[in-house]
Amino acid sequence: MTPRPPRSALALLDWRLPSEWREVVLGDLVEEFQLRAGASPAAARRWFWWQALRCAAAPPPSGARTATIPTRPGDSRMRTLLADLRYACRVMRRTPGYAVAVIVVLALGIGANTAIFSIVNAVLLRPLPLDEPERLVRIYHRPPQDAFPGADTFPLSPANFYDWQRMATSFDGMAMFRGGRVLTLLGKGAAHPVTGGSVGAGFFEIVRARPLLGRVFRADEDAPGAPKVVILSEKFWRSELGAPADIVGKPLRLNDEPYTVVGVMPSSMAVKAWGILTRDVWFPIALSAEDRAVRENHNFAAVGRLKAGVTLESASTELAVIARRLETAYPEANAGWGSVLRPLQDVVVGDVRGSLVMLLGAVGLVLLIACANVGNLMFTRALARRKEIAVRAALGAGRGRVFQQLLAEALALAAIGGVLGIGIAAGGLTAAARLLDGQVPRANEIGIDWRVLLFAAAASILTGIVAGALPAWRAGRGDLNAALKEGGRNDGAVGVRTRRLLIVGEVALSLVLLMGAGVMVQSLFALRHADGGFDEHQVLTMQISLPATRYAGGPQRSAFFDTALQRLRALPGVESVGTIDNVPLEGGSVQPIVLEGQAERLPKDQPTVQVRTATPGYLHAMRIPVVRGRDLADGDDHVMLVSRGAARLLWGDADPVGRSVTLPLVSRMQLHRVVGIVGDVKQGEIAEAPQPTVYTYTRERDVPFATIVLRTSVPPETITVPATGVIRTLDPELPVRNIRTMEQVRDDQLASRRFSALLLGCFAIGALALASAGIYSVLSYIVRGRSREIGIRTALGAQTGHVLRLVLAEGMSPAAIGIAIGGAAALLAARILERLVFGISASDPLTLVAVAATLALVALLASLVPAWRAARLDPLKVLRAD
Amino acid sequence: MWFKATTAALGDFEQLVLLGVLRLGEAAYGAAIRQEIHARSGRDVSINAVYTTLDRLEGKGLLRSWIGEPTPQRGGRRRKFYALTPAGEAALRQAYRAFMAMADGLRGRLEPK
Repeated sequence: MTPRPPRSALALLDWRLPSEWREVVLGDLVEEFQLRAGASPAAARRWFWWQALRCAAAPPPSGARTATIPTRPGDSRMRTLLADLRYACRVMRRTPGYAVAVIVVLALGIGANTAIFSIVNAVLLRPLPLDEPERLVRIYHRPPQDAFPGADTFPLSPANFYDWQRMATSFDGMAMFRGGRVLTLLGKGAAHPVTGGSVGAGFFEIVRARPLLGRVFRADEDAPGAPKVVILSEKFWRSELGAPADIVGKPLRLNDEPYTVVGVMPSSMAVKAWGILTRDVWFPIALSAEDRAVRENHNFAAVGRLKAGVTLESASTELAVIARRLETAYPEANAGWGSVLRPLQDVVVGDVRGSLVMLLGAVGLVLLIACANVGNLMFTRALARRKEIAVRAALGAGRGRVFQQLLAEALALAAIGGVLGIGIAAGGLTAAARLLDGQVPRANEIGIDWRVLLFAAAASILTGIVAGALPAWRAGRGDLNAALKEGGRNDGAVGVRTRRLLIVGEVALSLVLLMGAGVMVQSLFALRHADGGFDEHQVLTMQISLPATRYAGGPQRSAFFDTALQRLRALPGVESVGTIDNVPLEGGSVQPIVLEGQAERLPKDQPTVQVRTATPGYLHAMRIPVVRGRDLADGDDHVMLVSRGAARLLWGDADPVGRSVTLPLVSRMQLHRVVGIVGDVKQGEIAEAPQPTVYTYTRERDVPFATIVLRTSVPPETITVPATGVIRTLDPELPVRNIRTMEQVRDDQLASRRFSALLLGCFAIGALALASAGIYSVLSYIVRGRSREIGIRTALGAQTGHVLRLVLAEGMSPAAIGIAIGGAAALLAARILERLVFGISASDPLTLVAVAATLALVALLASLVPAWRAARLDPLKVLRAD
Repeated sequence: MWFKATTAALGDFEQLVLLGVLRLGEAAYGAAIRQEIHARSGRDVSINAVYTTLDRLEGKGLLRSWIGEPTPQRGGRRRKFYALTPAGEAALRQAYRAFMAMADGLRGRLEPK
């Protein structure tokens, strides 16, 4: 028996080869196969397969070869393109409704994408507006992990900083800085706060901020006992002082002390996202020799500029070596304290990177859904123009030419959509500027620049291609003869399979978005209602900082606060009042703690706790429960409350009440006696577990600043005016800062999450609307196409319910497939979201079910109208119209 | 078309195909041309590549074609034969001249040692 070529390969060729080539190519392959089979049938079969696959991948071109028309001289590609675009414009003018629908959908899609990209661009992509910002790094300690579990970075201690500065060779310079100093400017009407920053020698040189007037600090001014000097910000110089040109060298009284102005910094260097640069005024840090030697108290931030050509890695390695050397030299203070370098840009941007990337992905999905909708519209258009296309083909337009023409139309529409989209993005960003300001870092830098324009252009072109390519390709494939014979009559639904595919895609993408929005919103809800260990309702907080000139010692400070609290407590509507240095959720001091009778261990082995300075009344104002023992009382001195977590950490199961501890960073001698155990409170992130905390109370205040916490029986905002009034009557020159309710404190922390949840919700709703519009229009088209069939069915006695079911099934089956695929995709996408959600799993099955049900319901609603229309078709009318 | 340039000069593979047609004379059809190229140049090309090129060359007016009679060893299928047109011969001659002119005097360096 003669060997035969593999049958499946023959079938493949039969399917793939255009009719005019089928016989010739198959004949050639069979002929050569027979020849080869004589030598080895197996090898011949392999050869045949190999040839068949390559033919199938790229069959010879189809289309009867029309004699190539010689190109007219000057008929360039550009000219064809222009002609195509001109034609596209004519087509748009002829069918404005279609053009407007497409352009609006695309403009919204591209606009949303451009807006989100503008944010990503400003926050993540654009370098900081400083000189060679990539060389600027923040310098931190890495704290011992046993004592500070989970803390990656920690402020520096002065002695360590100066050692690092002296030994490291990778830097052009490094300088300490410290924000947060608030002063009072006197002699300018009501006392008002001035924000000040302290900077070490070389700070401005490292940041490369050149003064507008005067000079930066000299190295000898960063020394104790040096004359008091100050540099002003341009904003402060203009708004507070009226921009006198001769300000340099003039005195300025801040906090009752005379300073000499040495320079003014231009507003251009006030990078809003980096706090230290946005101060009103700056002073030299000017630590005393004693303070410079402090090694175990970590309170300073530092910035450095890497030498040109030095990488972050090599600088990190060098610092790590130095830190290790210091560990050996000063084990009692430094054991376990390493070093970390972070690019300044990363620090400034913080943790919004993850949510922004997620949002960009989400808005990209919305654009894809928009593409699917537009593709469907274009497809319908192209089919309605089948006759026109057939005529063009009959006159010699190749399939490529038709494809090109339709693609040009799609691109023209997308281009118009893109231009409008940029407008929408710009308008939207301006409208949302206020909202954005509190939500993302560098918000003031958000705007449309060349990167954004490039992105919008690329998005438009890509959208045009994605939405236009499939319809253009399918339109050129139709049977020329049939189209001409049909006479362009709108009969029978064409391309139903392609349209079903569009529905599947839209539904699947919408489900992913809905799922994301669902878990984000639930996560936000969980965070808003998460138990922080205190009751944030009806609580007002305000910060006060007593200037050292008028409140020099502990007795004066205590006297002030005693009177203030007493008067505040007497205000109508105030239930209880206390003070604390840092309110919950805002962080604060973390210190090692030593139990009485135990030797102090090396820092890396020493347990640390959050240390707060409270007064009687604070617990009550915050409604933090006393679990054992008692609350602080007015007669107490050097007493302490410990949180449950701290009690467990320090004493295990033993009862701490009555025992004593020292806080070595405050004083190694002073004992604090524990009087009670209180509930755990979240001092940092609300999404994280509460940290072990101790609250100390001392009659004489060491620190000049405090946050006054008032629990009110009336809405807390209404107490603002009487409360500040009380402070003003006590000291008219004392500014009251940061007046917030505890609910605001918590909401501030959730700002960026709220922003992502809000946007994701908007995207999901947009996606849902687009998907339902898509299902509706596809089904309407199918019903219109099948109206004859449905009419005949009705005439033959089909019931209304039957027709309804028929059309509903047509819409719901691709939706069901889309939901299944989308469910799988959502579970994959959950991996990205998992880090961004709290109190719920990103792949929460209940949410998935709810979202799928919502989508199914929307699909059902979108299918109902066309189905209803089909069921009410009058068979007589339909059949007569034939 | 505005996204694809058309070239007038002969490509490397086009030259091989045209030479194959010239060589085979009256018996120039796809499989024969494919085998000729394989045997002489060592390039084992696929049949679709041969026909795609033949079709393109015909479109440029360098080849003409006709359909032959069905044969039994092809399962009763017909062959499609090709022959050079005068323009095809001229193009091939031009390519040959160019190649020879460029290779002139380089024989010692181009031929295998």
